[in-house]
Formats: sequence, structure tokens, C-alpha cells
Amino acid sequence: MNVAAFVLLSLVLTAYVLLDGYDLGVGAVHLLLARSDEERAASLETIGPFWNANEVVLVAAGGMLFALFPLAYAASFSGFYLPFMLVLWLLMGRGMAIELRGYFANDLWHGFWDVAFCACSALLAFLFGVALGNVLRGVPLDAAHYFAGTFGFLLNGYAVLVGALALAALALHGTLFVGWRSPVLATRATRWTQRLWPIVLALFAVTTWATLRVHPTHLGPVLWIAPAAAVVALVALSRLHSPFQRFCASSVFLVALMVAATATLFPYLLPSFPVGSGGLDVMNAAPSGYPLRTAVIVFGFGLGAVAIYGTLATRRLLLRGR
Amino acid sequence: MQSAVLADRIQFAFTIMFHYLFPIGTMGLAPFIACYTVKGTWKRDEGALRAARFWAKIFTLNFTIGVVTGIPMEFQFGTNWAVFSARMGSVVGQPLALEGIYAFFLESIFLGVFLYGRRFVPPALYAASAVALWAGSWLSGFFIVATNAWMQHPVGFRIGPGGSVELASLPALLLSPFAWWQYAHVMTGAAIAGAFVVAGVGAYYLLDGRHFDLAIRFVRAGVIAGVVASVVAVFPTGDANGSEITQSQPVKLAAMEGLFQTQRGAPLAILGMPDVQHATLIDPLYVPDLLSFLAYGNLRANVKGIESYPADVRPPVELTYYAYHVMVGLGTIFAAVMGIASLLLAAGRLYRARWMLWLLMLLMPFPFIANEAGWMVTEVGRQPWLVYGLLRTAQAVSPTVAGGETIFTIVGFAGIYFVLGVLFLVLVLRQIGEGPGADEAPAAARV
Repeated sequence: MNVAAFVLLSLVLTAYVLLDGYDLGVGAVHLLLARSDEERAASLETIGPFWNANEVVLVAAGGMLFALFPLAYAASFSGFYLPFMLVLWLLMGRGMAIELRGYFANDLWHGFWDVAFCACSALLAFLFGVALGNVLRGVPLDAAHYFAGTFGFLLNGYAVLVGALALAALALHGTLFVGWRSPVLATRATRWTQRLWPIVLALFAVTTWATLRVHPTHLGPVLWIAPAAAVVALVALSRLHSPFQRFCASSVFLVALMVAATATLFPYLLPSFPVGSGGLDVMNAAPSGYPLRTAVIVFGFGLGAVAIYGTLATRRLLLRGR
Repeated sequence: MQSAVLADRIQFAFTIMFHYLFPIGTMGLAPFIACYTVKGTWKRDEGALRAARFWAKIFTLNFTIGVVTGIPMEFQFGTNWAVFSARMGSVVGQPLALEGIYAFFLESIFLGVFLYGRRFVPPALYAASAVALWAGSWLSGFFIVATNAWMQHPVGFRIGPGGSVELASLPALLLSPFAWWQYAHVMTGAAIAGAFVVAGVGAYYLLDGRHFDLAIRFVRAGVIAGVVASVVAVFPTGDANGSEITQSQPVKLAAMEGLFQTQRGAPLAILGMPDVQHATLIDPLYVPDLLSFLAYGNLRANVKGIESYPADVRPPVELTYYAYHVMVGLGTIFAAVMGIASLLLAAGRLYRARWMLWLLMLLMPFPFIANEAGWMVTEVGRQPWLVYGLLRTAQAVSPTVAGGETIFTIVGFAGIYFVLGVLFLVLVLRQIGEGPGADEAPAAARV
């Protein structure tokens, strides 16, 4: 059951990366892709109906971490206090930018929110990567499993590298989403896809090598298959011509990255630094028996229902004439 | 340590009170939007659909600010209250996760369909999305109140290894009568706010001589909903809440009522200022025996006063007392005003009664104050406990977060929320100024 809880949480986080990933990616390349006022409105409109529901995936993941692994939730959220507050403020800035830009027909008003949208999205993508990097690398934990390090510890080379990969991969994902959804911006989106592609490939290669160094681990089959699948997806992405298929290839790439990351991490949720010295894992961070079982079943059922009605309802919006 | 606890409490109180202003708006307006949309779709009533779209714009602004100020709430349990989260997470995390999974997705997915899909989806789905919006917003209210009710009156738990509190029964948590009465009262409060906003905006248009056709719809719908909700707020929901508190938190009841000494035939204080040092009410205005009657249904019942409880379980009396009296006083005014307005409506004189239209317009902010005051009673009156009888507030904060860090982030939140509040007011007032039917495209799609 503890493993099922870990898998369920990983699935939701992967869904977050896929879904809000394109919102963040569109934001990160917003100023590059869309030049004129009309283009920027078009860029925002691609994610307009969806971004809020996508962000709910993060909220749901937070609530699930709270219920499934209370100790990991408490240790990580309080330990990374200031970075988390920064993330919160950036999420606020992004939400305001998306929703409030359209309220006044004024260039200064639009320009301000365009820059805010781009900066908040890019920083969020980067910081989520930094957070993942630190979790993979392990953080200093005291006897009660509370964070015992400093802010500076979190800004290490490896975490920054993962942050850069997250930013580049999500930006690529964003260009593909815009290329699929917006005919106005498709040409420039494709150009930026081509520019970002080699960067993502290079960062992926370096990060994979670095991960093996900071997280010495048994190389199970998943840890061969996932990176291989990521490479295949990246190569396929450069060969495919249909915008939707390219977006799907990028999604496969992100899924493969998340599978590789969570497989590397397992069974830990928050390993102690350096890796191998214990930490919070799926057993010692979870409540036992009834609460965990109930949570996995009730959450799993609800998420399944959301996936079904969410797909059916949004399909109408996606299929509308372009 | 003490200063860290105080800073954590101030941060939570400030961010939750600011945040809650917006869910009041969404939960209060959602039923109106759903009813207008269903009626408009069913009866092909273009006016009702225009009304729904107008309120959807106000709703969307509320929803946006509600979302961006709501995420910090979920984060704060972990960031500032790590001991609480670590020890109680398997219980309180459940309803919070359920809120995300069962309520927020419903609300956000169908808000997207409702705002962007009007021209693309069939009318039935369009109407259903408005109803889903209502269901989502009221479900999210339920899960939050269920979480809070558990902290007020813990049920369905067991003590696990290492003193952690573990969930023993999810149905017990979700079906607790304490939670359901609290939920009914909270939703009624939101409905009153929605009713006053709808009636108030309609009154404004009538006074201003604009949008006459929709204005009378707004005033009528708001007054009818308002008179029902403001009566239900008192009885049965307010009364039942009082009984639950009398049973499980009697010291909170004593603080609410400003009753210091245990008395047989305790009076109800209508007015007066609590003087905690001398354990007395200054300048009180009493109704004899009424508190005994309200609490126990018996004029001679014995009601325990604050003095009869040990000092370390007493809540702060002043805040609890004043917040409670503000809530009850405002609730009485709402019922009276809505009662008179509905009589005028029945007599067909409401739309010409300018004094009443002025009153309805000016009363718009006050249900928000009453809602906030009600929550202050609930939360301040719960002190010194974070989870009643199980965990003290002072022992629940994050060991790794210093008071100074929290004060720094309080200042950050204050700045951001000031900007948010100003933006919200400017944009809402502008929407109301533009009026219904001014601009139909969703905001983000406009250039």
C-alpha cells in the first residue's frame, strides 16, 4: 500500500508536469514567441481555458502529499520555507498576469503583465527543477527528520542543472503546445522548437550523467528503459511533422524524465544528504494501515473520475474550429 | 519560540481572512449563476442568460483572487505548522486532498467550459457546467469546513505510534454532525453575502436609472434569497451550531457570551464590554435567563462561566466576545432589512422605495464582515487549542522556521495582498460600472 501511495503521487506529479508544464512553457517563451500585442493575446488564449485546472493538479498533489506522507510534507515544506514562499508568490504573479491582462485595453497594462507572466513562469519552471534536483541529491536532515541545512545548500550545481533542464524542457513543451493550438504563432513556435531542441538534448545528457554521480544507485531495468525512452521521444520529436504528434512526443519525453526521476528516488521521498544515509521513505513517512489504504482508494477513484470527465469536457474546447 | 508562534498565528490569520473574502463571493454568487443559466437555457430567456454572464464575470474575478490566495493556505500547514502537519496529517490531509480532487477540478474545469465554451458546446452542457461550478464551489466549502470541524471537535481518530493522530474512520470525519451544522451555517452566510451583492448591484442600477430590466431581476432574486438565507442563518443553523458548541466547547460559549461567573438562569448580554481583569462586563444590557434558555432550553439551567475553567484552557475573551456580537448584531440587521424589503416586494413597492434601495446598496459589504466575524469566533474561541483537546497551538509550529522569517513573509504577503485587493476592487467596480451585456468575450481573449 505504501508503494501504491508513492506510485499514485508520482502519477499526479507527472500529470502536473505534463499539464501545467505546457502553461509554464508557454509563459517562459511568451515574450520570444509572441511579438505584437495581438500575438501575445493569442499566446495567452491558448492556455486560457485550461491553466486553472492544470494548476489544481499541483494543489491536489500538495494535499495528497499531506495526507499520504505527512512527515515528508511537514519536513519539506517547513525546511524549504523561503523557497516555497517564493514559489507561492510567483504562482500568484502568474495567475494574476493571465487573468488580469485582458481587463484594460492599454499597452502599458498589457506590457506589464506580459513580462510578469513570462518571468514568473520561467522562474517557476526553474525552481521546480531546483526542488527536484535537491530531492534527488538529498538534503541534510536531523534526527527528527527536519531540514538541518541552509538556504545556500539548496543552490548547488546539480540542483541548478536540473533547474536548467526543467526550464528548457518545459519551454520546448510550451513551444509545441503553441504550435499545435495557435495558427497565428505556429511558424515562430516551430523555429523556437528547433532552437530549444539541441539545448534540451545536451542538458538531458549532462543531467543524466550528473544524476548517476550524486545518486549512486542500483541500475534496475526501469533506469535503463526510461532514459532510453526519453532519447527515442526526443529524436521522434525532431522527425514528426504533425504538431499534435510532436506535442505528444514531448509529453512522452517528460513522462520518461519523471519516471527516471521517481525510479531513482524510490523508496525515498526525501533522502538525507548524502544519499545512502537514510531519510524519509515510503515506510517511515506514512501512517499505517487504514488511513493510507482509505486515502489511496478514495484519491485514486476521484482522480480517475476527474481524468474521464475532464477529458470529455475539455475535448469540446480543444476540438473547436481553429 | 513564543514570538515564532505569534508570528505564525498572525500570518495564518491575516492570509486566511483575506483569502476567505473571495470564497464568500464565489460560493455566494455560484447559485445565482447556476439558476440564471438553467432558467435561461430551459426557457430560452435571453435576459436570464445575460444576467448569468454578468455575474460570471464578477465570479471569475473572485475565483481568480480566491485561487491565488488559496494556494498559500494549503502550503502554510506544512511551512509554518509542521508539527501539526506531521502529527495530524493522516487526518486533516484527507479532507484537504479530497477538496482538491473532488471539488477544485470540478470548479476549474467547468469554469473553463462555461467561460470559453458558450459558442462551442451544446446548451445542455453549457447549463450543466454552471451547475457543476455551483457544486464544485459548495463541495470545496464542505471539505474545508469538515477539516475545521475536526479541529474543533475531533472524531474518528486513534492515537498511533509515536503519539501521532491517525484517521480511524473517514465516514465519521465527513459525517460528523458538528461538521454538517457548521457547514450549513457557513453556506448560509455565503448565501446571504451573495444575496446582498446581487440585490445591492440591482439597487444601484435602479437608483442610477440604468439596465432597468436586469436590475429588477437582481433586486427580486437577491431579496427573496436574502430573506430565506438570513432566517436560516438564525434558525436552524445558528441555533444548532450554538448547541454543538455548548456541548463540546462550553468555555468558548462562555467567552462568546461574556459570561464570567457560573449562574443558574444566566442572562444574555446584548451589549457590554468584557473586562477580563475584573471578570465582569462593563455597561451590560441583559435579557434575564435567556442564555440558559438558548443553551439548554430551560430558563433556570446552570451555565458555567469562564472563571470556572482553568486559566490554561480559556480562549481570549475580548476577541471572541466582540466578534460574536458583531456577527449576531449584523445577522439581526440582515434579517430585518431583508424582511422589510420582501414585504415591499410583495406589495409591489420595492422598486420605487428609494430609501430601501439605498439601504440594500450600502449594506453590500456587511455580510462579508459578518462572515469573517463568525470565523473569528470559531477560530479565536478554539484557542489555546489547535486541535481541541489534542494539540495546543503553541506546540504545533515548525521547529525550523524562525519568527523573523515569518515576519518577513508577513510583510511580503501584506504588500502583495494590498495590490491584489486594490486591483480586485478596481476591476469589480469597473465591471459593475460597465454593466451587463457590455462586453461578452472572456477577459483573457480580449486584446
